[in-house]
Amino acid sequence: MAKDIYMGEVSRNEEIRKDFFLMKVTLPSGFVEPMPGQFVMIRIAGLNDPFLSRPISIYSFSRGRSNCSMELLFRVVGKGTRILAGLIKGSLVEISGPLGEGHFAIPKAGNIVFIAGGIGIAPLSLFAENLCRKVCRSSDAMTFYLGAQSADGLIGLNRVHKYCGNIIVCTDDGSAGMKALVTKAFQKDLKKYDPMDTAIYACGPRPMIRALSGMLDAEYFCQVSLEERMACGVGACVGCAVAMKDDLGQKTYKRVCSDGPVFELKDIVWE
Amino acid sequence: MKVEIAGLKLKNPVMTASGTFGYGEEYSDYVDLNRLGGIVVKGLSLKPRPGNPPPRIMETSGGMLNAVGLQNVGVDVFIDEKLPFLRRYDVVVIANIYGESYKEYAQVAGKLSRAKGVHALEINVSCPNVKKGGLSFGSDPRAAAEVTRCVKAETHLPVIVKLTPNVTDIASIALSVENAGADAVSLINTITGMSIDLRARTPHLKNITGGLSGPAIKPVALRMVWQVAQKVSIPVIGIGGIMTAEDALEFMIAGAKAVQIGTASFINPCALVEIIDGIRHYLDENKIKNIKDIVGTLQT
Repeated sequence: MAKDIYMGEVSRNEEIRKDFFLMKVTLPSGFVEPMPGQFVMIRIAGLNDPFLSRPISIYSFSRGRSNCSMELLFRVVGKGTRILAGLIKGSLVEISGPLGEGHFAIPKAGNIVFIAGGIGIAPLSLFAENLCRKVCRSSDAMTFYLGAQSADGLIGLNRVHKYCGNIIVCTDDGSAGMKALVTKAFQKDLKKYDPMDTAIYACGPRPMIRALSGMLDAEYFCQVSLEERMACGVGACVGCAVAMKDDLGQKTYKRVCSDGPVFELKDIVWE
Repeated sequence: MKVEIAGLKLKNPVMTASGTFGYGEEYSDYVDLNRLGGIVVKGLSLKPRPGNPPPRIMETSGGMLNAVGLQNVGVDVFIDEKLPFLRRYDVVVIANIYGESYKEYAQVAGKLSRAKGVHALEINVSCPNVKKGGLSFGSDPRAAAEVTRCVKAETHLPVIVKLTPNVTDIASIALSVENAGADAVSLINTITGMSIDLRARTPHLKNITGGLSGPAIKPVALRMVWQVAQKVSIPVIGIGGIMTAEDALEFMIAGAKAVQIGTASFINPCALVEIIDGIRHYLDENKIKNIKDIVGTLQT
């Protein structure tokens, strides 16, 4: 027995853009430092409605002298996130985590490329920060492609600016950056990236990941962080299944929560 | 706190429900498995099953729907790779079994009976999310009895039959499997249901329908446990939306000798242990020496 459910206290919960919230939670010092790509299951302490906890990826983490502090970036998409959005300073939340066996692997390649759609920036910007601060990768080696429907959905750019030398912003409606899908912007640059010397990391809506899988052949190292509805978060309920190739190339269902949430793009089976 | 079910000696009446606790390993970082009355592992079939395509789950008011479709590693991999882990613990292990035919049920039962570390079998004749077998055996008293006989013929282990609530008269199915030699019955499995995405006008689950679990189904489960307990003389194991020790005690008062906890573990991995401690506390507070003394004590 090593893991526990931690009681966290909301220290800030701010709507940084319409429907996008950044929640800061103070946790006991026993909380293990997450690896980029890992997530937590969060629920409001003592409340059974909404019934299930919500999986949210970790945006930032810091350790103080007597406690830890974690930021969660989320978008209001339904009942659970709407209720989380209503939490005020001092609210108590139950958090289990960090969860997920699959996380982003530290690249050896010279070029590091991030591709994020909307809220997908959360785990990728944490990873960029870690690479910069902990592995001492130069910001010049890191390129960040960020896409959103419109300028309103571009969040977390300030943080990306701190760690990534090259930033390409795209919006569907052209209200900021290029008027293009983020995958199209990346595809234009693809020739620049030698598959032997490039590591690609992506997180975003399923169509974005699928488009990437259509343009990257298996030579490229590309890891993606996936999302799925979850009940337990630890691999027991097998609810968050995603079709993947196994070692023999056969289709099998893996669990986003425990086998992932980060997988290799080439292993995904598109059904 | 000790209870005995069909010769199985349980430390306490609280077990995991099949399909909600994996193969024990998944929650072993959160729960001391030695404390549990029993571990009922995820349903096992003769061959590995990939399960249903996603989405497989959807939250509902006071519960959730699932249509996992019995994804499992298959009985051979379970015995070789999962069972050794469980043998490290001093806990009763109950293997839940599933087949697409009488013969398959019997084969799975035979393999598990020869494996070291399996203490009982629970026959799943009640999964609503698979095309063949499962529910089709559990909703017909004759088929349910035949599965029971086939499994009993292959095993020396106690046999529990897990019943579906998706029938008109659950007590008649219970009676039928009792007559066929079942050593106990457990009930209820999930109630079939569905959920619709209004914007897209599509079902939330790829399987369209799924099984409802969680506190939303507790009143139905309690009623069925009570009805069955009146009719059969073999032990009844109560399942369905138990979240707290109070819920568990209600099932015991309705006639259950033991209980299984399922969906509660998803939202609180420590629920099992909290329920065990809560029952202990209730017994102490009410000066009840033996937990058996509350079973079936419903005043009507």
